[in-house]
Amino acid sequence: MKASANDVKRLNNLIPKVGVVREILDETPDVKTFRISTPEGEKPFTPMPGQLGMYSMPAVGEAMFSVTSQGPDYIDMAIKKTGVLTEALHAMEVGQEVGIRGPYGNGFPIEKLKGRDITFVAGGIGLAPVRSLILYCLEHRADFGKINIIYGGRSKDDLCFKKDLFENWANLEDANVYVTIDRPQEGWDGHVGMVPDYLREISPNPEVAVVCGPPIMIKFALVALRELGFKDEDIITTLELRMKCGIGKCGRCNIGSNYVCLDGPVFTQAQLNEMPNEY
Amino acid sequence: MKFIEKTNLTSLLAQLDAQYRLLVPVDYHGLTQFAPYSQVDSGVSQLYLDGNVTVSPKTVYLPQSEAMYKFSAQGKKLAIEEMPPLDRMQVLFGVRHCDTKAIQCLDKVFLDDTFADPQYKDKRDKTIVFSLACNNPKATCFCESMGIDRAHAEQSVADVQVYDLGERYGFEAVSDKGQACLNALNGMTDGEAKLPEQKPQSISFDAQGLPEKLKEMFDHPIWDEYAFKCLNCGTCSYICPTCHCFDINNKMRGTTGLKLRTWDSCMFGEYTQMAGGHQPRPGKKERVRNRFLHKLQYFNEKHNMSLCVGCGRCIAKCPVNMDITKFIRQVIAE
Amino acid sequence: MPNTFAEIQNEMRNIAKELLESGEATMVIGWEKGALPYQSTPVMIRSAEDVDKLIWDEYCQQNLSTYLIDYIYTDEKVAIFAKGCDTRAYNRLIQDNRIKAEKSIVIGVPCLGMKNAREAAKLPEGAEVPMANACKECRYPNPVTFDRKIGEDVTPWCTERDFSDVEAIEALSADEKYAFWQSQYTKCIRCYACRNICPACNCTSCIFDQSASGWCSKDVNASENQFYGVTRAFHVAGRCIECGQCEMVCPSEVPIMLMNKKFIKDIDSLFGAHEAGIDIDTPAPLSHFSVSDPEEFM
Repeated sequence: MKASANDVKRLNNLIPKVGVVREILDETPDVKTFRISTPEGEKPFTPMPGQLGMYSMPAVGEAMFSVTSQGPDYIDMAIKKTGVLTEALHAMEVGQEVGIRGPYGNGFPIEKLKGRDITFVAGGIGLAPVRSLILYCLEHRADFGKINIIYGGRSKDDLCFKKDLFENWANLEDANVYVTIDRPQEGWDGHVGMVPDYLREISPNPEVAVVCGPPIMIKFALVALRELGFKDEDIITTLELRMKCGIGKCGRCNIGSNYVCLDGPVFTQAQLNEMPNEY
Repeated sequence: MKFIEKTNLTSLLAQLDAQYRLLVPVDYHGLTQFAPYSQVDSGVSQLYLDGNVTVSPKTVYLPQSEAMYKFSAQGKKLAIEEMPPLDRMQVLFGVRHCDTKAIQCLDKVFLDDTFADPQYKDKRDKTIVFSLACNNPKATCFCESMGIDRAHAEQSVADVQVYDLGERYGFEAVSDKGQACLNALNGMTDGEAKLPEQKPQSISFDAQGLPEKLKEMFDHPIWDEYAFKCLNCGTCSYICPTCHCFDINNKMRGTTGLKLRTWDSCMFGEYTQMAGGHQPRPGKKERVRNRFLHKLQYFNEKHNMSLCVGCGRCIAKCPVNMDITKFIRQVIAE
Repeated sequence: MPNTFAEIQNEMRNIAKELLESGEATMVIGWEKGALPYQSTPVMIRSAEDVDKLIWDEYCQQNLSTYLIDYIYTDEKVAIFAKGCDTRAYNRLIQDNRIKAEKSIVIGVPCLGMKNAREAAKLPEGAEVPMANACKECRYPNPVTFDRKIGEDVTPWCTERDFSDVEAIEALSADEKYAFWQSQYTKCIRCYACRNICPACNCTSCIFDQSASGWCSKDVNASENQFYGVTRAFHVAGRCIECGQCEMVCPSEVPIMLMNKKFIKDIDSLFGAHEAGIDIDTPAPLSHFSVSDPEEFM
């Protein structure tokens, strides 16, 4: 990937640069993916899978989101409507200029994953951060073992990245995609049930698991993964807390002495076991 | 060492004020804080050297509200403009040793290798610190127990060390910046002096092993005992010389605005409240625990130094007298 | 009848012990000695063995009624000690539906006026410490409501409020008033200690905790600070029990009670004399409508 002039770090990391919304994709009724470039048509910054970007409409607010994918001259962020800022972001049209800064956080431990079978377990908007890693693994397919993607949503309408799930990834020979929804629904002939139960059913090879989703899903997926023989140091998850600076200074996203924005957002379960249960 | 008679302090300050932007400890209608010397000159405030000020010198480097950038957001267009740096050197006169240590704590956060903060650095680079040793500690002082050298200010922060020698003040340069500043001042005499005697502090304890002990105490009942009376106000955080958490927010005027960095406190619910409703620290217990552990454990783990410097402000000003020294002593005795 | 500080303190410990041992209360909130001689601070006692922590002296100014709010949705039965002003706060909290009488036990303690802890901090050791400003004008030193009471009622030392400080401000020109409040609110650091200690400020959520709403900027300057101060004064108008804690805890020494007293004075002249919290039946003047209310604005 070619670094653009825009990759040069701003002197002040708290000051965003201007990004332009090039494309907006409706994922679900409350999730949209925004494709952002600089006004010069360049890539705002080059994140590693799992890293974060701070997105702002300066007049409204600023918040941290994971970068779900990237191209030579853009980054994509999938954003769920949950508050004042995300409402405003959802109301945007193509051509809107926004503030953007990053990349922040540690990202997924790529080296640790190489050569191993990876089971991705995601629920709802939790696929957004995981997707960056899935895409990376598919791009560097030879570096990794078997790939299983287990994904669930409350209903079929709540499934994000349907094109990936049902076309791009579904047709791959060297990756398995398992999609489930919580309750039966008209027009859905796929699997019905909760992600953790589905995970048990599929019973993937217990090498590495990457988990992201609502806290309740993570909680039960963790139980299932341990039953299946996954070790805590091989269960990788990504956390989310309120953030303001993104660079470990403003204080609020700490869990013990770790800052989620700086030392995370990616942690192994083994690391989390050592940290205070306050997230 | 260089000397001036105490009666000549005003003329010394006037000299400094002529060359620099001079900040001195003042009493402004009952609030003690650092303020431009012009306030003293005009009689709005009185010079205050009897004890440490309520609002610590962190305001000089991390103001309670500070514009980070200007922006204009009109229709689909967005323009961002950075704020100008300080336009002149400033002198910060009369910083107590606990507070010089506190500034070193802030340096660890804001001058780190990866993400040094340019606005903070600008002010640090352009400030000459005159630190003033305390001979008579207040009843709330416990800096010595937190490892602060009462005879010498933190060397990475102070530029000129000042001693109160009874009838006169003694000045010793501790940095090149301080030396140059002192050399340019008139009316000082040279000589030797014995350092003043410093009265012992009434609060005294040995905090050895505190972070290690606290690491095992996250779920200890002590937090309920202490947190119950906390009001979750921000007094402790705001007057603390090391509390540095900040919020980033807006001040809008039509289509233009300022992005502000403002002090924040882990005592406030909004601090950790997430948009979706999740609140990782919902009550007094979680918030008090986080503040004390940040001071006494987490910061140690990260930077190998305590984030409490023993200035005693919180003991004096906390509305419910939450006493961090009582807490420390109780933990040590556990 | 116990009447000296030591006697009352002793009786406090006895009652606390009795309530905890009998299980009548699950916890007792009183005061213990703080870090310095002029600091007395709330303490929570859960075991009869700990009752000796309880003290009663001239610095037990902090009102304990507001702590009852924390336990309204728990199974705790909480006993508190309460001076005259604290019982007025208690009544106000009952009126605002923020605490429940059946979940609390109020042990009334007549009060001879607390000392000014802020002044004590500035005076040399051993100097005579004046009475706290709010206490000087206290007309209700005896508990107005209680489940139990310790000691004999005292004779109030003040029968009428002294509005001379308010009148002095009223006499100023608009520019002078502006300059005065500007200088005072420049000092405010927006720590919200005044709000958080105030028994009238008992809202479950406060607009000053919703910075995204845009009502009040987090920018700390005289203008935003005054917006905070004035809004709060309006909101506690008619519900302020004049305990003076807001002013006492202010680290910046903003004369907050001066504004509260101005509101009290105006309310008295507009709606008739009102004493907040002396009973639970009289509604706060700005919390209800009466046909005799002045309607100059209509």
